[in-house]
Formats: sequence, structure tokens, C-alpha cells
Amino acid sequence: GIPIRTTLDNSTTVQYAGLLHQLTMRARSTVRDIDPQNDLTFLRIRSKKHEIMVAPDNEYLLIVIQNPCE
Amino acid sequence: AVAAAMFADGSAGSADVGSLWRRARGARCEAKSCQTGPIVTAEAAVQTGTKQEAGVQTEQGAGAAQGSPQEGPADAARLLSFLQRVEDAVIKELSKNSRSHAFDGFEVNWTDQNETVLCLHTLSYPEAQHRKLQVTGVSWNATGAVVACSYGRLDDGDWSTEKSYVCTWNLDRRGLNPQRPDLVVDVPSSVMCLAFHPSQPSVVAGGLFSGEVVVWDTSRTEDPLISRTGMTDDTHTDPVYQQVSWLPDGKHRNHFQLLSASTDGKILVWEEERDGRLVLAEGFALVAQQIPCSIRLKKLTWGETAVGVTSLSFSHFDPCVFVVGVEGGFALQCSTAVRTEALQRPGSSLPLRAPAELAFSSHGGPIYSVSCSPFHRQVLGKQPGNAPYEMFLFSRNLFLSCGTDGHIHLHSLLQAQPLVSVQLSKKYLFCVRWSPVRPLVFAAASGEGEVQLFDLEKSTQKAAVSIKQTPGESPVYCLEFNVQQPQLLAAGDAMGAVKVWQLSSDFTEQGPREMKHLEQLASEVTD
Repeated sequence: GIPIRTTLDNSTTVQYAGLLHQLTMRARSTVRDIDPQNDLTFLRIRSKKHEIMVAPDNEYLLIVIQNPCE
Repeated sequence: AVAAAMFADGSAGSADVGSLWRRARGARCEAKSCQTGPIVTAEAAVQTGTKQEAGVQTEQGAGAAQGSPQEGPADAARLLSFLQRVEDAVIKELSKNSRSHAFDGFEVNWTDQNETVLCLHTLSYPEAQHRKLQVTGVSWNATGAVVACSYGRLDDGDWSTEKSYVCTWNLDRRGLNPQRPDLVVDVPSSVMCLAFHPSQPSVVAGGLFSGEVVVWDTSRTEDPLISRTGMTDDTHTDPVYQQVSWLPDGKHRNHFQLLSASTDGKILVWEEERDGRLVLAEGFALVAQQIPCSIRLKKLTWGETAVGVTSLSFSHFDPCVFVVGVEGGFALQCSTAVRTEALQRPGSSLPLRAPAELAFSSHGGPIYSVSCSPFHRQVLGKQPGNAPYEMFLFSRNLFLSCGTDGHIHLHSLLQAQPLVSVQLSKKYLFCVRWSPVRPLVFAAASGEGEVQLFDLEKSTQKAAVSIKQTPGESPVYCLEFNVQQPQLLAAGDAMGAVKVWQLSSDFTEQGPREMKHLEQLASEVTD
């Protein structure tokens, strides 16, 4: 995807946008393969260092990266 | 009388046989002919009208990605409606997350855990061991596959003109023979320290006992020596004991300069020239008078006595700031951006500068090694509700120093007193290095023949793992982590062997809360 607005630096943003777009499309097709009436509403990926949240849409993608505060 | 029958000529009639085949053949022959129809031909021609050429070239280390994000002009309204739709859901998830305990203590192991530290290889050069040479420096190359060690003597007090060796082993090769190095370089004087080039995998620099700095290229088999400083007025007058390192040049991204420090108090930066000489580019000199007086020197030294530099480490964040350890037992914070000139004996071609800015409290004896922490927290933008901004600065400024008093001091660049001080050994500590992957782990080489691995997360008072490298009490002089394969640690000892240790997984994987611990430790400064 093409980044429209970001609070990170350019190179990181471009990297996240590209990788997460592909992953979101894959997740969406997985959900719809299992049940064609279903669709993806939200995607969360939790890693050791932070949590990535993706809100998908037809044309746009909102990506939020949060540090867990434990 | 016998009537002679006389043979006489006679003739008889001849017989004829008529030919049969000619007539038969003639009766069966026929004549036929055929002709192809007319062939249709046509002509056509094609010619390209225009040509275009384009070329692509990749550049090493290109700057930040070009192309700022474009804003679609007509999409603003649709973007707004999208944001309004998802805003609630996202905010709900964010706040649920910050209160969630679902993942507390949940950790996943992706790789096989190995529990113990084992010695992968013991590398040595038998000839050097015959001559009782010791390993004075080890270094991993840029790709992490080759380890080099330098042989010399560290316990000789006087001037020595012994020959020594630099040996390299490629650990990824099949048929690695630990007793036979891949390359042995004969050096006319003792090599005291070694450093591989950060991006060219075959170039290695060494500092000699005679004060010279030499660069070898291990891929050239006939004569690996490519440049040297020679014995000019500029070179060091004392051995280059601990520190030779490569500095990125501010002007050209891929160009590196060579830095050497020695006990004559000079820190010199060399530039490689084409004819194989190393020429002085910049220099610094530490003189007792110019040390900032925030600490008291044990012996008041007057005049222009030089302060011997035994080790040096650059800060990973500010390329102008570096920390030196001196023979007097204290560490100094220095900067390459100073302008004041050093008072020193004349004779060098370039004026040397006095770099010292801040002095830290001292150890009981000379410092043998300093190391700056390579960690900082990844900046994920200004996120509200996170740690305050000052926290980012603290975690960059930590460094370790160790010396002959057997203590390790963990300092912050912001204050003179150490944050943590631990006694690891009753003998000298020769080398200390931060781990490249775990912010709270460092390794120290001790005079009792042990490599001690310290984990500040588990305990700030004693070592987590203590590896015995040599039987008896023969000291371990140097150690280096392999940045490309962080579970490998190479350590060289006085018996002339280099041991490559494979660390257990808890030393190589970063836990989720390590950065926080590191910052907590560093923030004790303000308490």
C-alpha cells in the first residue's frame, strides 16, 4: 500500500505498509475460505516487543503499533 | 600306309538369338510430365522508429528512502469517512490491550533451546605455542565466519623484538583443522591488538609493539601487507596495547579511517594512501594538565606528562563521543569535535587536540578495557502514554570499564560515580564486552583463566555463568562477540589458544522486558 499519513519515519512506514497489506489480504482470504459469508474486521499481531493492530477496509488500511505496558 | 587325317579348316553356319527384352521394355513404357502451379509471393518490410535506453545501478548504503507519502487530493472525504468508521473499534482495542493481562508471562520458543555453554572449537597454532606466545587479540570479520587472532607477549616488561603471528581460521569451512590456521602472517614485531574491517571481510588492522599500525589483506596470498604507518615522527612511541579500530568517515559513507591509541597518550586517526602508507589525518593527545579537574589524580603530575591510553570505545549513537580508559585508573569522556590544542612535545606534522571533557571516578588500578553499550530503544514515534522523553537518552549512555583491581564499573556518561560496581575476580580483568543482542548481558575475561558472563537482569552482584577456559590460572586476555552469529563468543588466552564458545539460548534471545530493565538501571541516576 501507499502510505498517506504516518507518525513514524519514512522507511519504516513503507516497510510496514507493504508487509501488512499482503498479510491482511491473506488473512482476509483465509477467513472467507472458511466461511464465505464471513469477512475480516480486525487483525492483531502480538510479538515479543509490541502489538500491531490493523483495521482493514476496501480502500484503506489503518495500522497502529502499541507497546504492551507490562 | 597310314592315311594322315588332316585337320582342315571348315566353316559351319552361325546361329542367331534374337533379343527379347528390348521389345518387352518398349511395350511397357509410358511418358508422363507434370508442372507446379504458379507460386504466390509478396514482400513486406518493418523498421523500428524510436529507441530508448535506461540503466539501473544500486549504490551501497543509499540514504533514506526518497518519496514522501503523497496525499491523494480527491480522497480526503473518503479517507475521513473510513477513519470515522474504524476509529471506535481501534480505540476500544487499544484500551483493552493496555489493561489486558492475557499474555502475562506468556513466551514462545521458536528455536531449540540449548541449555549449556559449550566449547565449539579450540584453535591454536602449534608453532606459536612452542614459542610460548600468548593470544593478545581476537577479532571476527564482517561476515562473522572468520576469526583472527594475534600472537604476542603481554607479560614482557621490556622492549621485545620477537617475531609474532597473525592467524585466521574460517569456521564455516568443512575440514576445519583447529591446529592449522587458514592463513598465517609473519610479523616482525609483537602484535598487540587486532581489528577486522567492518565491511570488507578480508581486511584486518593490527597494532604492534613497536608503535606501528599495519593493515593486511588476507585475500592476497603472496604478501598480505597492504599499508603501514612506518616509523615516522607521527607514529606512536609506545606500544599500541589494546586498541586499534575502524572509524566511519563522516564525509564518505563507505570509507573508514583507522584509529590507534597507545600508552604514549596519543590517539591518532590514520588515512590509507594509495602507495601503501598510512598517513596521519587527525590526532588527539591526552596530557595530565588538561584532564578536567573533577577528580583528584592520585599523584599530582606536573608538566606535560602524557597520560597513557589503554583502551577506547566509541559511543554508538554520537559518532563524536568516545570513552578512553587510562593507566591512571579512570575513564574519560572525550569528543572528536574539540578545538583546543594539546600541549605536547613538538615533532608531529599535525597539531594534536586535547579531547577530554569529563572524568569519571577511578578504579584501584589501570583500566584495561572499556566498552560502550550498543543499545537504544527503537523510536516508534511520539506515542502518548509511553515513557517520558528523557528515557530515550539514558539507555544510550552506559559503558563498562574493567581493570587490574578486578572490579567492573557500570557508568552512565552523565555522572562521575559508577551506577554498579562489582568485583568479579581477585586478579586482573583484561577485557569486557557488551553482548550485541541482549542489552543486559556482558562478558569479562579474567586473570584467573575464566570467561564470566554477567546478566544484570538476574543479579547485579555475581556472574550468571563462569566458563573455565584454561586449566590452572593462566589468564584470558581478550574476547569478542560475533555480531553476525550472536551465540558465538571467541576468547584468547595465555596458553596460545582461541576457544570459540557457543552460548546457551538465554544469552542470545532478548526478553520482552529487557529494555525496560536497562532503562530502570540507568535512570537510577536521577534518584
